Amino acid sequence: MELSLVLGAWVAAGMTLFIFSFLYKDNPFYRAAEHLYVGVGMAWFIQLYTYSVIIPKVYKPLVDTIKAGDWVNMWLVLIPTVLGLSLITQFIPKISWISRYGFTFLMGYGAGLILPAGLATDFMNQIVGTIEPFANFFSLSAGAMINAIIILIGTLSVLFYFFFSVEHKGAIKKVSAFGVYFLMIYFGASFGNTVMARFSLLYGRFDTLVKYSKGEYFYATNWIILGLLIYFICEKIFFKAVKLKKT
Amino acid sequence: MKDTLNKILKIDRRWLFLLLSLSILIPIIKPIGISSSSISSSVQNMYDFIEKIPAGSTVFLGIDYDPSTAPELHPQATAVMKHLFKKNIKVVILTFIAGSGGLMDELVRTIPPQYGKVYGKDYVVLPYMPNFTAVLTQMASDMYAIYDKDINNKPLKDYEMMKNIKNYKDFAASIDITGTALLDGAWLPLVGDKYNLPILGGVTAISQVGLGPYLQKKQIKGLIGGMKGASEYERLTNEQAKATSGIDALNIAHLLVIFFIIFSNIILLVLKFI
Repeated sequence: MELSLVLGAWVAAGMTLFIFSFLYKDNPFYRAAEHLYVGVGMAWFIQLYTYSVIIPKVYKPLVDTIKAGDWVNMWLVLIPTVLGLSLITQFIPKISWISRYGFTFLMGYGAGLILPAGLATDFMNQIVGTIEPFANFFSLSAGAMINAIIILIGTLSVLFYFFFSVEHKGAIKKVSAFGVYFLMIYFGASFGNTVMARFSLLYGRFDTLVKYSKGEYFYATNWIILGLLIYFICEKIFFKAVKLKKT
Repeated sequence: MKDTLNKILKIDRRWLFLLLSLSILIPIIKPIGISSSSISSSVQNMYDFIEKIPAGSTVFLGIDYDPSTAPELHPQATAVMKHLFKKNIKVVILTFIAGSGGLMDELVRTIPPQYGKVYGKDYVVLPYMPNFTAVLTQMASDMYAIYDKDINNKPLKDYEMMKNIKNYKDFAASIDITGTALLDGAWLPLVGDKYNLPILGGVTAISQVGLGPYLQKKQIKGLIGGMKGASEYERLTNEQAKATSGIDALNIAHLLVIFFIIFSNIILLVLKFI
């Protein structure tokens, strides 16, 4: 086994266990891992964006176009670069107004590109999807019929729940109250899936810890757990002794 | 009795953490084998769709997740990639997530050799590209205007499998395995609905519920949700791996949580009447 892989296993197992140690109580190992995570994460993203965006998309094209005297393409790189850099002026209050140029472009470009496509996907297609089954309702199977009715009732009642232009009383109150049940079912399913997702992440970490507890990684997980246990026991004994001394 | 029950309700939560940890850890060390046998319709649709893609066709495979969602999505990507190679479908692998590099590299290093697939002939890997809206829009007319080189910095057009590929019209489908909203927020509106390219995907269990309407309308042709979906797909492709063993641990953990909920509610009920 390569030394870098073993070292990587020790770091991964150590960081995972240090973070998990917070579940027992706050401790210096947890805090060190937390700060390292933020610092290393930021540094990693900076190098990634430098080598995958700034150098190949900005620096190299600029140098190449200037060397070749290709002024048109140089401006095509320079203008978006300046617009992007203008966003950084947000951090300097005196010239923060410059960032508006960048933001204006981003907003206009983003809205123009996403709005028509988003409207078609999320709005028109969904309306069609709700109504469409009723065009050939009697040719549907019994299950599909029930499904179509549930979707129609659910859509309408939830829409009524969020319809605030009229006061919710009488029939509208009843319909919107019915919509609450659909919302609850959605939230329940969503929460259940969230729990499952969180367990999956926990499984992922435990699976890694079990992998690194093997001889080929020099029992990284086992040694680190033992170290943490010794620390917590010593800490308890030490604080008990200090407490006794004070009293 | 009342005092005992109150004491149980106020149990130190760290004991529950320990029990939960054991419920996940034990099946990893010693698999129990209680995974479910049902297959959800969205996973079955995804499998059936890929089964029907003619051999030699080309598809996109988006690896749009990073280590934070890898336990759920990596088994999905593995199972789907194996299925594609088994069916002799050519794959263009790409990502819009900066942190996916290592995971993508692991997939490419381990899976294609198992099926005797050759880089450039059966699959290519595109480099990470920021600004997915610009990329997806540009690829509709000419994908080489945005991806002129592959991840190894070599001209993409020169590869054998890319000879007859220019834009979305030359692809059979796009499969995006993502821990973000790229599937319904980018691939579907900017490519699927706009250029009629069939969109399939794999998402985390959290995102799965919100994608129901797109499945209902068949805007998304098939979907794998969370580790459960991945285990179902592994079963369909007869490639039982990480997700199948993982679902064992999830089942035990869920049973434990259900037990905690029922048990504490019974105690509350008893306390109300004594």
